[in-house]
Amino acid sequence: MTAHTTTAPTALIKEVADTAEGVPGVAFLRPGVTDRLRSALSRPGPGTTGTPTAGVRMVRSDGDSPWCVEIHLVALRRTRALDVARAVRDAVEHHLLAVHPAQAAPRVTVTVTGRV
Amino acid sequence: MTDRTDPPNDTSAHGDDELLPCGRPLSQVWDDWERHPDDTHLHACPHCRDAVRGLDQLETAVRDLRNEEADSALDTTTLTRRVMDLVRLELRPGRPLPLGGPAEDLWVMEAVAARVLRAAVESVTGVRAGSCRLRDLRADETADGAMDQGVAVCLDIHAPAGVSIPYLAEQVRERLLEAADRELGMAIAAVDIRVTDLVPTPADGQEGGAR
Amino acid sequence: MAGARRQTASPDTVPPDSRGDTDDALLAVRAAEGDEDAFAVLVQRHAPALLGLAVRLLGSQAEGEDAVQDAFLSAWRRLPEFRGQASFGTWTYRIVTNRCLNVLRARRPAVPLEAAADVPAAEYSTSPARITEARDAVRELREALDLLSVEQRACWVLRELDGQSYEFIADAVGISQDAVRARVFRARRCLTQALGAWR
Repeated sequence: MTAHTTTAPTALIKEVADTAEGVPGVAFLRPGVTDRLRSALSRPGPGTTGTPTAGVRMVRSDGDSPWCVEIHLVALRRTRALDVARAVRDAVEHHLLAVHPAQAAPRVTVTVTGRV
Repeated sequence: MTDRTDPPNDTSAHGDDELLPCGRPLSQVWDDWERHPDDTHLHACPHCRDAVRGLDQLETAVRDLRNEEADSALDTTTLTRRVMDLVRLELRPGRPLPLGGPAEDLWVMEAVAARVLRAAVESVTGVRAGSCRLRDLRADETADGAMDQGVAVCLDIHAPAGVSIPYLAEQVRERLLEAADRELGMAIAAVDIRVTDLVPTPADGQEGGAR
Repeated sequence: MAGARRQTASPDTVPPDSRGDTDDALLAVRAAEGDEDAFAVLVQRHAPALLGLAVRLLGSQAEGEDAVQDAFLSAWRRLPEFRGQASFGTWTYRIVTNRCLNVLRARRPAVPLEAAADVPAAEYSTSPARITEARDAVRELREALDLLSVEQRACWVLRELDGQSYEFIADAVGISQDAVRARVFRARRCLTQALGAWR
């Protein structure tokens, strides 16, 4: 991590989150379930309701460098963790290249944090 | 009733003890009643009998209280769910471990992988899995270059008694490697298996025979 | 390992009907390594006995549930340091006891130890109907428990209702065995007086 990083706009993060969550074998993005639990246990404060981008971190050092995308997800038990992780990586890469063809290819990291 | 030999009665420990008219301290009378019910004085002395009757009636009430509680068994379903909801907010997933090839930036958390591997080795009859630690060999690469690839596994198991350990270990290793590949997609470089306990098989019919 | 299991003093700490085929020690190791499913089995297994203990100590179902919940959460956090010196059941029993002691202390900071001895005993001994009704006696006993000091109540409950040894109680409450004996004695004295059974 460099000292100066830019976080992607929320809309773009949401696109990535939707893409990842749409991949077969993905149960949900983490910490999505935590947010849901937290709001179920306590009064949801402003800004905490519905965080569709939870589980996705997307930064870059400046406007020209590629996006670094970190995705945390919970996979379905019947799937192979590696296959799901690869499929998510590929889907996100494709999406970003298709929507923003002028940008440098992103760097996508996927971590499987649970299986249900 | 008591499970140890007591030092001689130390009345000072019983602060507000009192002396019965017969000269015995109340604490001793109650103590004797619990542990030496055959004491002849206890039965002969009216003061002691009085004091013991009080305790007896208390014991009856206590027994009734216990029975009442036993009848109203507490439902802990909701409590259990509440506890686990909170626990799942504070997961300790361990460290990330690599999935796939060395160039891929794909990971699985240690606790997730360990659970898969434990379940797999427990498919060997009689085997129970305990500690299962995983180490990314790439992470602790040495000065002479990163020759090691993949993940090293340290697994503790309870093994059924009377089964050849080398044979069993081989089976456990096979199941583990198979599950690591089929369910996770993780390259395993080394497997260390420690048998920490031998468990008698049901046929032995003995409890805790092996330690 | 067998020794650790034997230490589980109360026979209902592990209800036989919920005993899976994996023992507590293994489940505790797994839970310590972050396996929350293993912890869930332990919670399920030990919650009934621990809740019973907490309710007996606190005299309230709601407060008992809160105490057990807090105790389990604390156990989950401390599990990595738990090395199986005691059985999981004994370990959590101790955590719940401590949690309840804190609740009791916070609840009644003003009640002095001596107050317990000054029960208006005469009032109780006047009604003969009470003595015959077992249920009345139980109710009276419950009420009388509130007259005890925190430590008296804890020691008495662990001894009389949970059948623990003085050694175990001393360890759980964090006082000497003699101090436990003294508190159990005082508690009995207070309770017999309150029940109007004597004096």
